[in-house]
Amino acid sequence: MTEKPVLFKGTRNGLSIYTDSKADISAIKGALEKKLQESRHFFNGTTVNLIFTGRVFSEQEQQDLIEISSRYITVGSFEFKGPESQPVQDDHRAVDPFESFNGSEEGMTRFIRGTVRNGQRILYNGNIVILGDVNPGAEIIAEGNILILGTIRGMAHAGAAGDTKAVVAAFCLQPTQLRIAGCIARAPEGEAEKPQYPEIAYIKNNQLVIEPYLPGKGK
Amino acid sequence: MGEVIVITSGKGGVGKTTTTANIGTALALEGKKVVLVDADIGLRNLDIVLGLENRIVYDLVDVIEKTCRLKQALVRDKRFEGLYLLPAAQTRDKNAVSPEQMQQLCEELKQEFDYVLIDCPAGIEQGFKNAVAGADKAIIVTVPEVSAVRDADRIIGLLASSELPDPKLVINRVRTDMVKRGDMINIDDTLDILSIDLIGVVPDDEKIIVSSNRGEPVVAETSSPAGKAFRNIAKRILGENIPYHELEVEETFMERLRKLFSSRKSTRSL
Repeated sequence: MTEKPVLFKGTRNGLSIYTDSKADISAIKGALEKKLQESRHFFNGTTVNLIFTGRVFSEQEQQDLIEISSRYITVGSFEFKGPESQPVQDDHRAVDPFESFNGSEEGMTRFIRGTVRNGQRILYNGNIVILGDVNPGAEIIAEGNILILGTIRGMAHAGAAGDTKAVVAAFCLQPTQLRIAGCIARAPEGEAEKPQYPEIAYIKNNQLVIEPYLPGKGK
Repeated sequence: MGEVIVITSGKGGVGKTTTTANIGTALALEGKKVVLVDADIGLRNLDIVLGLENRIVYDLVDVIEKTCRLKQALVRDKRFEGLYLLPAAQTRDKNAVSPEQMQQLCEELKQEFDYVLIDCPAGIEQGFKNAVAGADKAIIVTVPEVSAVRDADRIIGLLASSELPDPKLVINRVRTDMVKRGDMINIDDTLDILSIDLIGVVPDDEKIIVSSNRGEPVVAETSSPAGKAFRNIAKRILGENIPYHELEVEETFMERLRKLFSSRKSTRSL
């Protein structure tokens, strides 16, 4: 991996931003702005805690970085840790989510156990597996695939960063709305039969299609 | 040491206050010492449903602001031994109280009473946060309507994050005639979506309106089907080894519903 001025890493405590200690402040500012712009929709509506590591910044520089960040996201807390932290590249598990996650074939997966209820929102920059139901009013947003081992009645958005190969599959697929990359489909009006078999949704010829998921024949 | 149960719903008008008044009265009739706390500051109703409006001197906010002692604010119901009301303030709003203060109040009430029932206001804002702050358990009231079930689902999610998992469900105002026609949403579907335990199904009953206006809880009336349902809920709360036929009554009612739904096409899902 070439040395980049700014790297993002999602952690339990917030968004860890690794900055190259040798990079010029203007390069860092530019790279940060670009990255935030790219991933703005991903953070949409959530409050993000920022942890800057790597380069040491002056007070003015710190203020500038926070100011740039808050243009694109809602900044919760922020922290400047300086150089003592490990650079992101040294950690083999650490991945830059917006660069390395480019396929639905594999990647990081988040498992959610239990029912996702009205008003709850699950965001992940990888695949999401729900071991339970997704109720109306709940939102599941993944940059990769979404698998629901249960019934989905809420909204699912797979390939949220634009991956058109992403799929949504569920034991019982009855979403109010389904999105894959830029395609949006909604539930048919009126009474719909409850599906009796697992189904899979994917994009075919720029259209969102839903098919029964038959083992061996699945996409 | 008593138990604090919050009665909540998210949506307004589904019967939280009626449920609180009736379960509380039924528990008192079972010989328990019960206090009903009206957490709906600024829009108090529980006192009216209980018929105790004209006996209020001090209220919950007075207790929290230490204008009076707790005992002074408690209104004793003379008709039912062991039933007390802690009324809400009518001239203040939800911000007059903080969750920490409610927690403290609940701790205090728990020392004195077997059951502390909190009548939660509608919504998910400050009033809701106050009401659930001191609770050990929760009962969710819903009616067989899509919007009420949606709100109940939201509330269950919020309760789980305030460390109140595993709430119990009361389905209120079930219209037997509509159920017979298959025009009311399926109880099984409701339970399927909410995936929590049922603690009672209350039939729609005109007597509720009459008794609420008069300030006489319907559980005292033996002839009322809703009153009977509330008495059953109280018994289930007590967790006493409910006599077998009690459960049977509930089961046969549920079975009847189920049969009706399987024989007729029910209105569709939520």
